[in-house]
Amino acid sequence: MKDRLFAQQSAQDWLQTSGSRLAAGNRSLQGALMLSALIVVLGLLVLAFGEPFQVRLAFAAFVNVIVVIGLQIFMGNANIANLGHAGFMGIGAYAIAILATPVAMKRIMIPDAPFGLAEIEFGIASAALIAVAVTAVAAVITGVLVARLNGIAATILTLALLVIIHSLFFHWDDLFRGNQAFFGIPRVASLELAIVAAAGAIVIGRLFKDSRLGVQLRASAQNELAARAMGVNVWRLRLISWVLGSTLCGIGGILFALYMGTINPRSFYFHAVFMTLAMLIMGGMRTVTGAVVGVLVLTVGMEVIRNIEGGPLILGLQFPEMLGLSGLALGVIIVTFMILRPDGIMGDAELDDVVRLRFNAGRWFKPRSLTDDSDAQPETNV
Amino acid sequence: MEYLIQQLLNALSFGAEYALLALGLALVFSVMGLVNFAHGELIAVGGYTMYVMVALHIESLWWILTIPVITTVATAVLLERVAFRPIRGAPATTGLLTAFGVGIILQNVFLLTVSARPKAVPVLGPLTGTWNVGPFTISSLQVLETLATGIAIVLLVLFLQRTSIGLAMRAAAYDFATVRLMGIRANRVIATAFAISGVLAATAAVFVIARRGAVSPYLGFDPVLKAFVACVLGGFGSLPGAVVGGFALGAIEVMILVILPQSLGGLRDAAVFGLVGALLLWRPQGLMGKTVELGDKAA
Repeated sequence: MKDRLFAQQSAQDWLQTSGSRLAAGNRSLQGALMLSALIVVLGLLVLAFGEPFQVRLAFAAFVNVIVVIGLQIFMGNANIANLGHAGFMGIGAYAIAILATPVAMKRIMIPDAPFGLAEIEFGIASAALIAVAVTAVAAVITGVLVARLNGIAATILTLALLVIIHSLFFHWDDLFRGNQAFFGIPRVASLELAIVAAAGAIVIGRLFKDSRLGVQLRASAQNELAARAMGVNVWRLRLISWVLGSTLCGIGGILFALYMGTINPRSFYFHAVFMTLAMLIMGGMRTVTGAVVGVLVLTVGMEVIRNIEGGPLILGLQFPEMLGLSGLALGVIIVTFMILRPDGIMGDAELDDVVRLRFNAGRWFKPRSLTDDSDAQPETNV
Repeated sequence: MEYLIQQLLNALSFGAEYALLALGLALVFSVMGLVNFAHGELIAVGGYTMYVMVALHIESLWWILTIPVITTVATAVLLERVAFRPIRGAPATTGLLTAFGVGIILQNVFLLTVSARPKAVPVLGPLTGTWNVGPFTISSLQVLETLATGIAIVLLVLFLQRTSIGLAMRAAAYDFATVRLMGIRANRVIATAFAISGVLAATAAVFVIARRGAVSPYLGFDPVLKAFVACVLGGFGSLPGAVVGGFALGAIEVMILVILPQSLGGLRDAAVFGLVGALLLWRPQGLMGKTVELGDKAA
């Protein structure tokens, strides 16, 4: 348990007197703003000096920040692996596509859409709000079920959700165009918008993690029985975090659709799941900083590898095309991190923890890893 | 009547394939609590071995059926040593994600070294054909697959019942710590489990390849997803549960295919996973030990 102390430091502060509770609240807000500021500065740098392809890359990274934080909110706090989040990205993306695409376009693409959806068109803002609401409703309906299960069973249920959602996109041609791309979505999203949204996601994720609900949920992930005995309503907390996280994923999907202008079901299936999952695991799923760090490191890393994959020209030497190298690297990253550093780069430390310890103690803080988890984690074997 | 028998055979052969794979998953899960999603890539390893053999003009059916077993078993044991031994004892989620990672690595190795496109493996022709039994025309592949699964199950049961390492594996499923206190080497038990899962995967590979006639990097993903579902249906980690779950899933799939109108045929996966989700909510621990109407389909 000693190893966990650091993770629980903010939690313990939280549970002390109301005065220090306020201080802890301030601290997590400060930490969130610190991380947001970092992200915003990075984004502004790309905006100011980046070439178009770098802006595109940065946009994808910021959308991934939102999605991975959405994933972190449920997975990191409830400690249940979630494979269904890409489905919610898809729900958000298709909802905005169906609501915001001009009627003229929809008459061509989905003339037989049910509920007269081909004949209505919303402004971007209201369409986005409705799309968020649609995602949230889908999250509530599924969350009621997911929250009932533990460990592997819950993970499989999220997997089932992913397959079901994908199947619907793929085979309900009248509404989603199935195998064909859904195009003509107004391309109104910009990098600026994604930066603001990602910063917002960071604040939401961090405040949730350090809120009373977040602390209770993390406690229940460590020892559900003990948490229940203390009066923690695990089901309710899981539901709340599921809905919050899935809705964030939906918002990521909405931004994605509004930027690309074209979507298809394959963008929201296993590839997206593994990519975002690898980001979260690599950064460290227990912290919001970990989610952000994972996205940044893996985005840059994968871009470099993709260049090599395409057969680059280095110092006049033409390298051969090596299809599959990026996938290989992704797999190696997942496995290596699982073996050597299952807690990810950040472990239990948020950015502000690192900074504070650096300045307070005058030494570099090393995030601790949980070497012996057996007493802290109940066996989830069925 | 003929239609009914045909559908029954379909269900049996689907079920046999799922049961074969589910057994491999359940075996590994029962001894070390690992959900081995890379199991599907073992099938692909078997398939690519056949592909390489064809390229080398080794086309005798005897070799085609035996060499892949060796490569799959070797791969399974290697994966255990390199990737899964270091995470032994970690939470189930860590294992699941590691296995996903291993699967992605293998897929991309195939992609890098062979091709992203399916490659024809036209050597299993002798296995596919039709037999006329009385008034029925049946596919030999379906019968062979069901038979092979039956034999594999019998051999596995004998192994688990009659050998001391088999006994150790069964005991490990209950309490690994005590097994080790009895002087059994943990590494040996787990490596054996992986080796057997490799044999089962190679057996499944023969039928998967015979049916498709080609091998591709992502070949194993769908079957293992289904096998995974079968395990869940039966109760994760239970070997009889894996068999029951496999055959139950086969029956469910065929039933859904028969019941769903043609226009909704694409929603088969959605229906299957929907059903599985519902079953999980009802019995998170799986079916096994409860339902008799599913039990009678077990070999």
